[in-house]
Amino acid sequence: MIGVAWAVLQPLLLAFVFTVIFGLLVGVPTDGNQPFPAFALSGLLVWQFVAQSFQQAASSVVINSHLVTRIYFPRILLLLAAVSAAFFDLLCVLALMILFMLWYGIAPTLGVLFFIPALLLAATTVLGLALWLGALYVPYRDIGHLLPFLTQIWMFLSPVFYPLGLLPRMFDQVYALNPIVVVVQTSRWAFAGGQPPPASMVAVSCAVAALLLVSGLWFFRRHEGRFADVV
Amino acid sequence: MSVPAIQVRGLGKLYAVNELRHPRTLSERLWRLLRPAPIAGGLPESLWALQEVSFEVAPGEVLGVVGRNGSGKSTLLKILARITTPTAGEAALAGRVGALLEIGTGFHPDLSGRENILLSGAILGMTRAEVRSREDEIVEFSGVGQFIDTSVKHYSSGMFMRLAFAVAAHLRCEIMLVDEVLAVGDAGFQEKCKAKIQSLAVGGGTVLFTSHDMASVERLCRRVLVLNEGRVAYLGEAAGGIAEYRRLAS
Repeated sequence: MIGVAWAVLQPLLLAFVFTVIFGLLVGVPTDGNQPFPAFALSGLLVWQFVAQSFQQAASSVVINSHLVTRIYFPRILLLLAAVSAAFFDLLCVLALMILFMLWYGIAPTLGVLFFIPALLLAATTVLGLALWLGALYVPYRDIGHLLPFLTQIWMFLSPVFYPLGLLPRMFDQVYALNPIVVVVQTSRWAFAGGQPPPASMVAVSCAVAALLLVSGLWFFRRHEGRFADVV
Repeated sequence: MSVPAIQVRGLGKLYAVNELRHPRTLSERLWRLLRPAPIAGGLPESLWALQEVSFEVAPGEVLGVVGRNGSGKSTLLKILARITTPTAGEAALAGRVGALLEIGTGFHPDLSGRENILLSGAILGMTRAEVRSREDEIVEFSGVGQFIDTSVKHYSSGMFMRLAFAVAAHLRCEIMLVDEVLAVGDAGFQEKCKAKIQSLAVGGGTVLFTSHDMASVERLCRRVLVLNEGRVAYLGEAAGGIAEYRRLAS
């Protein structure tokens, strides 16, 4: 139960901070008129999953070098384990999200049906990128310094504390190159009563995620035989 | 003639040893694209840790692998355990492989001895039910006794290693690879370990183990493989192998 508390506390505090800073002080608008805490948490719900699973998965081979050098198993299991652990935390935050919805009287929308596919899109993207960086991290240790920085930039590029509608529509296709944009927007649509992401963006994001995963698997498999030698 | 449990043909492993050629950071690697590294003086580019190693081990046989430090013993075991890939040649193993390359694989210091039995057993390839059914046997073998529910970080190093070996010794596998872990614990415990290896072989299991202790090699193995600078220096009767090892080591 303590683990659940930690998993819930972080997004709860972040939602509070976002509400005070971006909602009250900066005056960031929400899509439609969602209450800012629900707007923030619906974004954080999936963003925390992305950030946590990406950082953990990308460093998993190096962190578990004591296992990699001593025992054989498909190395990708380390990455899958990291993503699964983050998924469990996401379930805890989802429970918090439902409490928020009850408190603010927000009814779930049709988007709920698309939440699971959106999570699959997120997991595909994260895994694809983590396969690349995780394999590079083994010989090149400065990747470790890059990961938190990269995650931070990734958050700014995703509509976590600002609405998708804030951007000019002409950049939609470029923006969709980051599949997490679509994922956040779907979560917001499902649990905070926002708008669904445009279908054209979803198409671009799915293509990017698939490309990342396929290329990541290729790169990782090409190098995993030598992990034990260089880690 | 039955199918060999382990069949190794022309095995070779090349390690890149020149740090200048293989930078440890991505930034340095990218920098090198702009300014190619000077030719490193004196350092070799790479090193053959193993070269043209071929041998076979029959089911139920205990093969001792001996050689000086750096002769390629551990590299050979790592390739057989599939931890690393060979540069040349191939190794075929028929059966479930248990690798005991370092003591305490998968042990977590904060967990109790009992919890670590489960964790380490799972990592080494046992199912939860298999570990549970052998838990009492493992505790008994380790001799850790009443401390089995204490965090292993409070164990003495001897207790820790005995428990770790006990878990591995109760793995059910057809081929067991053991890398210098017999030197664990006191004389009484070492005796138990040797008896365990013998009983594995009697039960049809194949064991390949490395050691610097010629007394155990003599007692456990009928055949010995001697490695020297990555090449097979001797393969055959134990007595001859031990003599060859002594000659090389002196």
